[in-house]
Amino acid sequence: MDIQIKDLSHRFGEKVIFEHYDLTLQEGGLYGLTAPSGRGKTTLLRILMGLLTPDAGTISQGIRYSAVFQTDRLLPGCSAVDQLLFVRGGKKDREAAARFLSGLLPENSLYQPVGELSGGMQRRVAIARALWAESDCVLMDEPFTGLDEATLRQTVDFILAKRQGRTLLLSTHQKELLTDCPFEWLRI
Amino acid sequence: MKPAKSQRRYLRGLLVTLFWLGVWQAVSMLVAKPVLFASPLDTVRALRTLVPTGVFWSAILGSLGRIALGFSLALVLGLLVGVAAFRFSLLRTLLSPLLTMVKTVPVASFIILVLVWFGSSSLTVIVAMLIVFPQIYFATLSGLGSTNRELQELAKVFRIPALRVAWQIYRPAMWPYLTGACASALGMSWKAGIAAEVIGNPANSIGEQMYLSKIYMDTAELFAWTLTVILLSTVFEKAVLWLLRRVGK
Repeated sequence: MDIQIKDLSHRFGEKVIFEHYDLTLQEGGLYGLTAPSGRGKTTLLRILMGLLTPDAGTISQGIRYSAVFQTDRLLPGCSAVDQLLFVRGGKKDREAAARFLSGLLPENSLYQPVGELSGGMQRRVAIARALWAESDCVLMDEPFTGLDEATLRQTVDFILAKRQGRTLLLSTHQKELLTDCPFEWLRI
Repeated sequence: MKPAKSQRRYLRGLLVTLFWLGVWQAVSMLVAKPVLFASPLDTVRALRTLVPTGVFWSAILGSLGRIALGFSLALVLGLLVGVAAFRFSLLRTLLSPLLTMVKTVPVASFIILVLVWFGSSSLTVIVAMLIVFPQIYFATLSGLGSTNRELQELAKVFRIPALRVAWQIYRPAMWPYLTGACASALGMSWKAGIAAEVIGNPANSIGEQMYLSKIYMDTAELFAWTLTVILLSTVFEKAVLWLLRRVGK
């Protein structure tokens, strides 16, 4: 199902973020969102997720989202595998979750409490979790924060491999690092 | 070789205990009236006479059972009502004056009122409940209020089932508050429960036995009962906190 935003208007106090803004995300599309900070990338994603009600406008309903937020939002004290199982599956899926994660993280880190992992590793856990969850559309808010260039490459490949035909929209200010990727770039 | 740290701490604890036992013995020798102030030896002797009797064990079972029942009921009710009040602010507002009252009314007033209304048999249970309930209730509210908002949003976006959210997000946030409240409520439930028994004299209770010791001016036996209460309350507290920690992991 396509995701349609129609006639969206939203402001924070005096500051107009969106005015009569329209956007269509085609089912299975791969979208990049780039704009200077403060222009509403996070706001747009939060509106899509249903965490923020816009002042006006309509948004397609009934879409299941999974997401990488600006902050990692991992369950404290739980392992990387547990983070995945929290959003889908149960004990019987432990091995599958570990296999899934091993495409992005070293094997010996998968069962450690996430607090003991580095910032970049925690970021990758959050990314893997969004892709592991059952959803129609994956939203990622600055997913590459804190990743060095080599890891970023590996992470982009992982995202492209694991999105499995789902619509994907990610915001980033590092567009130049992704020029060889098949993103359709949107502007706000 | 230097003894290990834990060994040294143990030794120090032992020495401190011996010191205060010595002080106790010295004071009792100074007072020199066993009727007024029993010595440690008198107390141990009284305890040795008590332990083999049926009265001792039925009093212990009676008091422990009633306080444990009151505590457990208050724990369950405090949690349930706390969760409901967190969810529905109207309930929270409605309950607020009542609970403030329960917290500020002197325990002795409760004991007498409960005695008049319900008699002595259910006295300990009700008093222990009244003492523990507000603590658990307020701890539940603060604990739930401290839950990480970002994780709540995450659960909403990913459509995580409510039970899983309760267990994985709300429970860990609430647990430190709950164990803290339990630790203080446990001791208080024993103090208030035994006080209620001394006033209300329910059958098969430690309080009743303490009251009898007072009537017969048997200070050694009173000390022996006190020692028993301290031991029981400590073991009970440790057991409940251990259990809570297990569930909280």
